Amino acid sequence: MIREKMGMIRCEEAMARLWEFLDGELEDVEEEAVRKHLEVCNRCYPKYDFQRAYFEYMQRTSPRGEGSVDVRRELFQKLLEQEAGGD
Amino acid sequence: MAWTMLSGRGAHEVHAGRERATRPAPREEDPALAAEGFAEEALPWLDAVHGFALRLTGGDRDAAEDLVQDTFLRAHRFWHTYKRGSNAKSWLFTICRNTYLHGKEKAINRYERPAADFDARMETLAAVSAWGTGPERPDREFFDRLIGDEVIEAIDDLPEEFREVLVLSDMGDLKYAEIAEVLDVPVGTVKSRLSRARRILQERLRSFAESSGYVQERGE
Repeated sequence: MIREKMGMIRCEEAMARLWEFLDGELEDVEEEAVRKHLEVCNRCYPKYDFQRAYFEYMQRTSPRGEGSVDVRRELFQKLLEQEAGGD
Repeated sequence: MAWTMLSGRGAHEVHAGRERATRPAPREEDPALAAEGFAEEALPWLDAVHGFALRLTGGDRDAAEDLVQDTFLRAHRFWHTYKRGSNAKSWLFTICRNTYLHGKEKAINRYERPAADFDARMETLAAVSAWGTGPERPDREFFDRLIGDEVIEAIDDLPEEFREVLVLSDMGDLKYAEIAEVLDVPVGTVKSRLSRARRILQERLRSFAESSGYVQERGE
């Protein structure tokens, strides 16, 4: 088999580690094995690419700080009051 | 097992890991507080904690704002217990979650989400292969076709134990070990919950996209 000659991991192994690979949570050796697999596997690469798109989408839609101007103002006031011994 | 190799090495561009938010810079309008370092280390995470609080409370804006305020007032009160230069983000997320849980205990159902049909839904989902590892060829443009608040609604509808781990990771950018610390569970639990949460979320988004005609239904 070509993949065995190249020291490749199988599709199932690569997909089982896909989330950890994308999360940057694999050890170097495992990360390299998954990377080598994805670089050349036409079956697994689209799944990797899709999950990357998922993370990009999640970052775009994260509601960080939406409408938080009033929250900030009120919080800062209360923090100052707390320091002044008002709480 | 299908195995489709490209002829050349490195034909696909592949990157491990993903971009994670770095600490935002302090803002000019931040107050001058006596608590040394609080404005520099804690306040920059206000928006991130607010985002987490919004999802913890299932999108209840008033409850989320109360929760953010309670979190930062508590963090400020206990700032002397924080080790300067360590992980303020994880520390704040932990306080936020504990405050949320404490609020739920004090006022039953204040933040509670309905989950009566959760078991039935889990059984249905368990029968579906993990999206992204099935036989179909997923299309990254799928996400461009989603509009509006579908993803937020789908996240808010997740059972709490899945919602919090997904938000901490995929929106809060925390690492597995940091999430484990916030939730006080083993890293293995974080991994399994996160995998399941992503599967459920993506399956729901797909169902929504199919029913809305954004993508073709499977089997067609």
